[in-house]
Amino acid sequence: MNTFLQLCFGGLALGTSYALIALGFVVVYRASQVFNFALGELLTLGGFVMVALCDFGVPWPLALIGAMGMTGLVGAGIERLVLRPLIGRQVFVTIIVTIFVGMILRSLVLLVWGPSPVGMPTPWDPSASISLWGANVFYSALGAVIAGVVTLIGFWWMINKPRLGIGMQATSSNQETALALGIPVGRIFGSTWFIAGAVAALAGIFLSMFPRNLDSNLGFVALRAFPAVIVGGLDSIRGAVVAGLGLGLLEVLAQGYVNEHLGQFGHNFHTVFPYLVMVLFLVFKPHGLFGTKEVERV
Amino acid sequence: MLEVTNLETVYHGVLRVLRGVSLTVPDGGVVALLGPNGAGKTTTLRAITGMLDIHEGKVTKGSITFDGHNLVGKHPEAIVRLGISTVMEGRRIFPELTVEENLRAGAFVAPPAKLNDDLDRFYTRFPVLAERRHGPAGYLSGGEQQMLAIARALMSHPRLLLMDEPSLGLAPKIVKDVARLITEISKDGVSVLLVEQNATMALELSSHATILETGKVVLEGASETLKADADIQAFYLGMGADKTSFRDVKHYRRRKRWLS
Ligand SMILES: Nc1ncnc2c1ncn2[C@@H]1O[C@H](COP(=O)(O)OP(=O)(O)OP(=O)(O)O)[C@@H](O)[C@H]1O
Ligand SMILES: [Mg+2]
Repeated sequence: MNTFLQLCFGGLALGTSYALIALGFVVVYRASQVFNFALGELLTLGGFVMVALCDFGVPWPLALIGAMGMTGLVGAGIERLVLRPLIGRQVFVTIIVTIFVGMILRSLVLLVWGPSPVGMPTPWDPSASISLWGANVFYSALGAVIAGVVTLIGFWWMINKPRLGIGMQATSSNQETALALGIPVGRIFGSTWFIAGAVAALAGIFLSMFPRNLDSNLGFVALRAFPAVIVGGLDSIRGAVVAGLGLGLLEVLAQGYVNEHLGQFGHNFHTVFPYLVMVLFLVFKPHGLFGTKEVERV
Repeated sequence: MLEVTNLETVYHGVLRVLRGVSLTVPDGGVVALLGPNGAGKTTTLRAITGMLDIHEGKVTKGSITFDGHNLVGKHPEAIVRLGISTVMEGRRIFPELTVEENLRAGAFVAPPAKLNDDLDRFYTRFPVLAERRHGPAGYLSGGEQQMLAIARALMSHPRLLLMDEPSLGLAPKIVKDVARLITEISKDGVSVLLVEQNATMALELSSHATILETGKVVLEGASETLKADADIQAFYLGMGADKTSFRDVKHYRRRKRWLS
């Protein structure tokens, strides 16, 4: 069996989820300079909505789209109700508020669905795998990569539509000026939160497939995607995708090749690698791979 | 076309800034709005464009209409769509975006079909900017940035252009270019409301002028007449040394405003 290839597939699957989560952070940050610390709870929410829809008898692919859409709407709702009134406030205010919103979401999820883990429904046998070039690949991992790539392409297409794309760029550069040009800044913020909610749901759904289960702690995975945000460059969508995939790969490869040499100490050592890379970037290349450097204002 | 009547505004619910300002911009006309620092010129423009809201201000009295449409309480986007465009104080180009992206942002409310023609027309007019269309706009010189800001405002095909101190901080030669551009814009049939501290230039370009002091209209009339007025000459036109100090004060205050 080809261990290397096997690890690469696992890494790509994890990396796709990291990329989606990082994208969710970046798309909101770019438009409104808000660090969305409620994003993790949107992953959990998306997962539970998916389970609920499947329990309800909705066919799996429709349930997937439905869960993404509904979580997106929750995101847009949070923006409209909580963050819109805070436009123009200092960054730390919005950080505190999103953390608080995350806590409320978490409580709601616990209240509705309880603390015990549930299995994520899959259209395939959850532990089934196929052999690709000598590597054993879980259907779920393959599904994650395919769904993630399709979503990323769809997203790419959306932000390159001339109007929405330029509206988002202008808004992220200067809200007041964008508003004065007739760009609907509020609606743009709303769309970025919708996108963040939708990609978070997708990541949450695939992350809670075999071997993991879905429970209310899934949200902490979002923190593990945070290095991808920094390494990619905070406001770069391309960076989020590249760094997410790269760090996912790195993490799984480390798990396969490094952990075993560290004995007892190496049990969870692979999870440290993305943070290590992040720290190196913060020290030597603080704008990340593709982040915008401040243009000197003449 | 634009009709402002007895306008009163407050900031933060208490700070009264405009106390009964009236002015009219006729179809195709250039009207100047003059006044010293803090007179309320920018506030007047914010009221017209629906931008008071985000500065925690609001209109408390009076009316603003554009071709019969009431503008008070309208969203900025709706106002731009009615045909009013603004060149804000201090240029405010998007520095990280390219020249072309800046222009495309200005065309947000315009029909996309016209975009390429508009870009071509703009580049023929400003060859320097055509060369740098794919470079960050923040690297342009002050004068080029002002041209870009004006061009960007025109991309929405406005019928009325509001300009907030377009000559501020520019070298005299560039100010002349800006003045020429304003004349051209008005010849193309766009009405202009020109806010200025450079009264010489503004009275030269406009047919009519209103002078504001501490939120009230103190003088208004034909620009020709005002130019000849002895008081105006004393206060706004003739004073070389004083005027620079005016500007210094202004920069200081502006910095303070941004910091607070
Ligand atoms: N956001 C705000 N909050 C509170 N007060 C404000 C705000 N903006 C302006 N003001 C105050 O309103 C008054 C008028 O300001 P405004 O900017 O309209 O003057 P201006 O005529 O444009 O002056 P300048 O020539 O300096 O640009 C000033 O006293 C100013 O301090
Ligand atoms: Mg002003």
